[in-house]
Amino acid sequence: MGMQINAIEIKNLSKSFRGMYAVDHLNMTVPRGAIYGFIGENGSGKSTTEKLICGHLVPDAGEIKLFGKDYTDPGVRIRVGALIENAGCFPNSSVYQNLRMQTINLGLKNPDEEIKRVLEIVRMSENAHLKFKNCSLGMKQRIGIAMALLGDPALLILDEPINGLDTDGMRIMREILIDITQKYGCTVLISSHILGELEKIATHYGIIRQGKMIMELSAEEMDNRSQVFISLKTKDMNGAKAALKRKYNTVTEEDEYIRIYDIDNTAEIVDFLMKNGHIISEIKKNKIGLEEYYIELMSQKGEE
Amino acid sequence: MTRKEELTFESPTFAKRIKGMLGVDFYRLFHTPLFYIFLAIAAIIPAMVSAMTMMPDQSGDTMEPLYSNVWQIIAASEALYVIRTIGDYANMNMVFIFGGIMVSIFIGHDYKSGYVKQLFTTHAKKQDYMISKSLVCAFAMACMCITYFIGGTVGGLLAGYETDVKIGSLIIAVLGKMIMSLGWASLYTFLNVIFRKYFGISIASSFFFGTGILIIGAAAIVESLFLPTGFLNIFLYGSSVNACLTSNIGTLIVCIVVSVAWTVFYNFLGTKILSKSDVY
Repeated sequence: MGMQINAIEIKNLSKSFRGMYAVDHLNMTVPRGAIYGFIGENGSGKSTTEKLICGHLVPDAGEIKLFGKDYTDPGVRIRVGALIENAGCFPNSSVYQNLRMQTINLGLKNPDEEIKRVLEIVRMSENAHLKFKNCSLGMKQRIGIAMALLGDPALLILDEPINGLDTDGMRIMREILIDITQKYGCTVLISSHILGELEKIATHYGIIRQGKMIMELSAEEMDNRSQVFISLKTKDMNGAKAALKRKYNTVTEEDEYIRIYDIDNTAEIVDFLMKNGHIISEIKKNKIGLEEYYIELMSQKGEE
Repeated sequence: MTRKEELTFESPTFAKRIKGMLGVDFYRLFHTPLFYIFLAIAAIIPAMVSAMTMMPDQSGDTMEPLYSNVWQIIAASEALYVIRTIGDYANMNMVFIFGGIMVSIFIGHDYKSGYVKQLFTTHAKKQDYMISKSLVCAFAMACMCITYFIGGTVGGLLAGYETDVKIGSLIIAVLGKMIMSLGWASLYTFLNVIFRKYFGISIASSFFFGTGILIIGAAAIVESLFLPTGFLNIFLYGSSVNACLTSNIGTLIVCIVVSVAWTVFYNFLGTKILSKSDVY
């Protein structure tokens, strides 16, 4: 059995604009079959990295390998689909015509079947006749994904595909992305600001700051790092907090709730407070999510 | 259809890549109104110029038609590098101005819509892009030469001009200009690649070169020095002017050589520039 080849392997990648590094000696590894959530602030270098991988920008230095091959190899490029910034469609052409052009470009043998297949995946079968310019933002994003899915890609690169979508649009997009990876086995690199949504689908994360990769971890590792805490409200918040502090190490008050960290047994807390004469009006078990973890990590890095 | 099996990566050949690119460009050409609008422009303008334009005579007292012969709107009676009247200038070479604008819009749409990203994300190489755009736009301009011929002929006939012409020279002149479309299309593709971030400059530069003003100016200097002007045929505008109503087979050969040489030059240069610069 051969060694597992990563879908993307980047070493020391750099790209500067007017002397400023947008991507600064970046290293990145995306395992095959992963949904890789690429996280970073605005201007951190996410989109630039994606554009470099797609061959839209010429790197200053570094190495990009896709499935073990140089990223410029036409053989590997033909298996890459991307949605970067916009769908890349002609506004006055219909959805069908735009997809048809890409099937011609890729030299696909059964274009109509292929178009039907990708439109079904993105739930757009009924809208093939629409002019692209008349589609809603959510539809345009889905058409962009349909374009990227033509020709059985092994790697999909999606830049902020859920930006600007409403709740329903986000749900549809999430279902589509899960479909793509589960049914078609694509590796997906996806950047997004909406970390709550990303958390629901990503199997791996890469966190970028000022053009540098500051952390790469799997969803499992992220789960292990996530802190559990119980939050509650009582009539006498100060008294309850003082009582809890006598027994538990980390007790804080945030957003009008008392938080007790490193414990997930709510019954124990209820029992303790009742014995101390406090009546609980609200109690729940929580877990620090990706968003809070990311904010904390960024504030730590900012202080360094 | 899960992909747990070994992935295979088969490199598409140059022929397959270029077939794909040409296919896309021709599909776009035939499925958008741009091409048909320019075909119509190429037909209507010579018809109007030929049938309706009047110029003052030498005394300036009376107005007379711009031409006396139907075919003067197609090509000049001889290779006139320096123009003295509007009639010397207004012939099928105008297609290269219309063509320049059309190429700018055609390539501009690639960048404005973001479609160029789809092309370069997948297997397309910069060289394929240059070749495909040059060939498709040359085809479009050659088609415009045909509609120009039809429009100009109809306009001249309606105006009642005489029809005397050496048929062989006329055919060579039209064929020569159609062949020159390839060189012109390559120049415009190159200009639009250089100025891809600035649509206004792209269109203005295409128009500027399309007018042939540089060669007209150079020819005026050469003529004032009493030097032969034949060497101007090594340029696109020179060869286009040289395809006139006194053309012979040699003219056609010059057109082929000049057009192909400039095509190779602009495609090579454009590919180099695209390869070393960002798509955006």
